[in-house]
Amino acid sequence: MSGLTLRLKAPATERINLDGITPAKLASLAAHEIARLNVGIEKNGLTLGDAFEISGSPSETLTIEGSGAALDFVGGGLDGGTIRVVGNVGAYTGRKMSGGKLEVRGNAGNFLASGMTGGTIHISGNAGDNAGGFIPGDRFGMLGGVAVVGGNIGARAGEKMRRGTIIVKGKTGENAGTRMIGGTIWAEGGIGPLPGLMMRRGTLIGPSVDSLLPTFVDCGKHDLVIVRIMSRYFKSTLGDLAPKPMPLFVQKIGGDTAAIGRGEILLPAN
Amino acid sequence: MSKTVNGVAIDDTFAEAFGMTGTGIIITADSMKWARIAATVATGFGTSVIGAGAECGIDRELSPDETPDGRPGVRILMFGFSPDALVPQIRNRIGQCVLTSPGSACYSGLKASQSIGLGKGPRFFGDGYQTAKRLGQSRYWRVPVMDGEFVIEEETGVTTDAVGGGNMLILGNDRAGLLETAEAAVEAIAKIDDVITPFPGGIVRSGSKVGAKYSGMFASTNHAFCPTLRGTVKSELGPDTLAVLEIVIDGLTSKAVADAMHAGLKAVTDTGAKRGVTRITAGNYGGKLGQHHYHLKDLI
Repeated sequence: MSGLTLRLKAPATERINLDGITPAKLASLAAHEIARLNVGIEKNGLTLGDAFEISGSPSETLTIEGSGAALDFVGGGLDGGTIRVVGNVGAYTGRKMSGGKLEVRGNAGNFLASGMTGGTIHISGNAGDNAGGFIPGDRFGMLGGVAVVGGNIGARAGEKMRRGTIIVKGKTGENAGTRMIGGTIWAEGGIGPLPGLMMRRGTLIGPSVDSLLPTFVDCGKHDLVIVRIMSRYFKSTLGDLAPKPMPLFVQKIGGDTAAIGRGEILLPAN
Repeated sequence: MSKTVNGVAIDDTFAEAFGMTGTGIIITADSMKWARIAATVATGFGTSVIGAGAECGIDRELSPDETPDGRPGVRILMFGFSPDALVPQIRNRIGQCVLTSPGSACYSGLKASQSIGLGKGPRFFGDGYQTAKRLGQSRYWRVPVMDGEFVIEEETGVTTDAVGGGNMLILGNDRAGLLETAEAAVEAIAKIDDVITPFPGGIVRSGSKVGAKYSGMFASTNHAFCPTLRGTVKSELGPDTLAVLEIVIDGLTSKAVADAMHAGLKAVTDTGAKRGVTRITAGNYGGKLGQHHYHLKDLI
């Protein structure tokens, strides 16, 4: 495979922080400098060369093989090019990503796509809690881009999310869209219990919802042009990863009226 | 020296056109009928930039596959002196004519390096109930209205490389035949993308010259081309000319205007002679005012 390849030498004995390990950054460094990059979080100063066998030459594509859940911040700060990962990844995958493409053949940990502003993430498996959510110190969660999760995602997806889209082929956990400010979570397998706690704006779309907060209200059945736009946009940009289009008429459930109530949960109209 | 094509004399002259600012807007609706209604109203009173503020027209109809929401649509073009001059035109025309039209939605109809507000004004009709959805580089405003939501994209592209004032004057000895020929030319021009013919039905019967004897008039009748004045003024018309009709063309690019003029000239020369068309000429100011010159002999 073309480009630089990092193969994990042995199962990690400490968390490995790959924040900022991007194709562009590696392309700007000499081989010995790449190997000396600090990726550890303990005082022994674990380097990229200690943790990974490094082969190939830098290009617009970076491949990480033999990955495991101890690898945090994979794709952190990615602004262009492609990172392909074979195996699971840890927390903060795609953190503050602004462009490019991150493909993970495996599961992702918590806080997937937090602070992401652009680009595309595709996780073939499941993702943990707080996907697209904010972390303490951040003002917002996800701010742009698209994250596609092939399986399910955990609780509180999209917490304080402001823009961008999370597409879930499976189901969301509880409290998806908590304190959501904008953006879209489209769960093809259904929306978990009690979504949208204190959400201000934003959209949750799915075939069903497990249970609703009492502060969400039925706004009726509508043919919404914006749903057509979203369906066509995702089909044109994501191809086969795009969610199946919603039926012409959707049931709009508005809320959270405990906040300003401009958010919505869209379900197929019966 | 003029040349004759299929019995129609083509003057050795040129149309003088000016650099303008242009933008494109897509209007969709539940049916082509309603997209067309909204587009027609939005481009109404959009004939001359001097008197109407902008020159507007329908570029073409769009199939559902060509629109952002998969519904039938119409692409309209608007031309003005500058991007700033187009801002109030867009705000008022979209706000009054598209926002109000049943089932309508409105999107960017031009990709360009510069952009101009499209939904920036109309969105405030939502009175705080409007919400936005950003997809890629586009932001779509959703304004609650009585038949659902009016969706409008925040910005559309704008180009300062547009051209306004491409023209041809068709002269003949049969007024009805002349009008039929001009209609055929407008139909041929309508098949060219990125151009409009902003006057009623695409045809002007009141060609103008710059200035007037009255103060405050920017333009007045082009008396040299008025057949009823022939003999009393220095006329451009021969003794057999009974009427003159003009087609004015605005385009997003100079090439589009040239292509449109070619199509229009061909339509006139193909069938004009048997309908009483005798001559084609073009309007210019001696070549000193407009940056774009379209020589008829090069386009026929």
